[in-house]
Amino acid sequence: MQPKAEMVHWMFATGFLFLGLCLFAEALVGQEVWRRRRWRAYLWPGLAFGMGVLMWPVMTFFTNSAIHMLAHSAWAQVMMLAGAAELGRVRGKLKSDLWLLTVPLALVVSGTAFLVHEQNPWFFQRSAFLHHLIGWTVLGASVFPLVRAFRTRSVVANSGFALTFVVLAIFLYCDRDLAPIFGHLSPVAGAPHR
Amino acid sequence: MRRLVVVAAALAALALPAPAFAHATLDHTSPGFRQRLERTPTQVRLEFDQGVKVFRNSIEVLDANGKLYSGAARSAGPAKQVVTAPVRRLPKGFYTVRWHAMSADGHVVAGVYTFGVRHAAPPPTESYGASGPTRTEHVVRWAYFVALALLLGGLAFRLLIVRGPLPRRAERRFYALTGIGAVGVLEVGIVAFLLRAEDALQLPFGQLLYGDLSPIAGGTRFGTAFIAMTLGFALVSAFLYLAWLTERTILLWPALLLGLGFASGLSLSGHSAADAGSSGLSELADWLHLSAATIWIGGLVQLSAVVWPTAPELRRTAFLRFSRLATVLVAVLVAAGVYLSILRLPHVHDLWSEGYGRVLLVKLGLVCVALAWGGLHKLVAVPAVERGDGRILARLPRSLAGESAVAMAVLLAAAVLVDSKPPPRPVSPASAQPPAARVP
Repeated sequence: MQPKAEMVHWMFATGFLFLGLCLFAEALVGQEVWRRRRWRAYLWPGLAFGMGVLMWPVMTFFTNSAIHMLAHSAWAQVMMLAGAAELGRVRGKLKSDLWLLTVPLALVVSGTAFLVHEQNPWFFQRSAFLHHLIGWTVLGASVFPLVRAFRTRSVVANSGFALTFVVLAIFLYCDRDLAPIFGHLSPVAGAPHR
Repeated sequence: MRRLVVVAAALAALALPAPAFAHATLDHTSPGFRQRLERTPTQVRLEFDQGVKVFRNSIEVLDANGKLYSGAARSAGPAKQVVTAPVRRLPKGFYTVRWHAMSADGHVVAGVYTFGVRHAAPPPTESYGASGPTRTEHVVRWAYFVALALLLGGLAFRLLIVRGPLPRRAERRFYALTGIGAVGVLEVGIVAFLLRAEDALQLPFGQLLYGDLSPIAGGTRFGTAFIAMTLGFALVSAFLYLAWLTERTILLWPALLLGLGFASGLSLSGHSAADAGSSGLSELADWLHLSAATIWIGGLVQLSAVVWPTAPELRRTAFLRFSRLATVLVAVLVAAGVYLSILRLPHVHDLWSEGYGRVLLVKLGLVCVALAWGGLHKLVAVPAVERGDGRILARLPRSLAGESAVAMAVLLAAAVLVDSKPPPRPVSPASAQPPAARVP
């Protein structure tokens, strides 16, 4: 009854793509224009929070190693935290600007979890390569929300933050061993598996 | 040049951590997890997703007494990703498979599972060599109960006792306490699951990280409860957060109802569900016992930590209402507790002759202290509060904090009790012999 692993990756990739496009649109037109419709302010943080909630089933149903379970729980929690903090700020319930730091924190934790949970080296197989790539990309991209926390109008920081999610979505769409490219580079990788 | 060195160092740092991880994952086993076989298998076969290095004792098949039935393990398959071990003829019974192999990077992956030959296989937590709950597990279970009390008791208190709008400070403190409870239930639940897995797999923490937990998550009542409760309490957290964000108290109702519903996972996976003599009634009694205790203790905490310091105008109403609710809760708690005690300890002397009974005695002693304290509040404090006696009102917060502390101690005794094994029920002569049709 469980969906295949690649489908779960694609579902989350779609979520990240939508999230990234929303953020990119906001970066292009500016916050004032984007928030002319009040609900738009809730769009990306609400989506992040919802994706965090949806990550819990992934955590509980894929338990073939403890480190996978812990990584998925870390992603679930930081996505919920980052979304919740931003929703709280938009709603006016959280006043301190320090809450802006939850997003870079979420990216640092997520990137570290990607690197630690991947059990194989870069060129072992495609999923291993992409996990390392995603891990380092997300870790590096945590600079964008950090800058954004102090310079909220910075086009570079806002665009970089938005494009991080677009890139993450593309990586996640590629992140399974079904296609022949990059697949099973190591001779000990065994038969194709999900 | 210097910049080039920095870039090269950064690239090296990116590449270096990778070779540190190259662990194999178990894809398939024969016999399967908890499989019941009608004939003895000739070998145990494990298939990994990549090649592994095999040792002589990579697969050990042990009976319930620890007797070894397997021979030297060897690798097979084109990439050496299959490990097999021959098995001697196995008599009727259940068997534990303990396996370990070395991944390409030199790290060891390991796991445990059970199967039965003309016999049902127990969950891996009851495999040969699995250790019983440790002191750490007692503390973790206690922390789980405390978190559950903060969450469910807090929600029930807000919805049933202080129904109207709260002063801003009180509202903030209410959400802070219930929020800590919600996060605590999730986090402590994960730690409890990992500790139980550690017991079953008998691995140091470093190796446990790469241990296969799927036989425990999917093949035990505890694992199923962990999955259901984690998902349920993630939803409860979301409802709690949305109630805070939108300032709609009505959203706390689904949080409370879902929370109470998913708390039944403990009752459906514990002694009341798994031990001999358990039934639907024992599961219901266990759930009522747990729900009443968490609502009572969580309510006490809310009264002493939220209403008393931050909402003086609500003290009188909240105290009187809570006192009425607590009477009902304590009645349910005691009735369900007495029924469960009789069910698990059929003889009175079990109370002092069995370890489970002795822990129960400690718990009963603490419950008596808490009940006496509650009775004192009911008989002395309630009339004084009704007539507005300032002297009693001034002393009440300390007294409530004391009662809460005793209640927390009751939870600790409950945590040890849940982890203890009740004595086996006496077997009637009719059921001592299995029916003839089942004898091979």
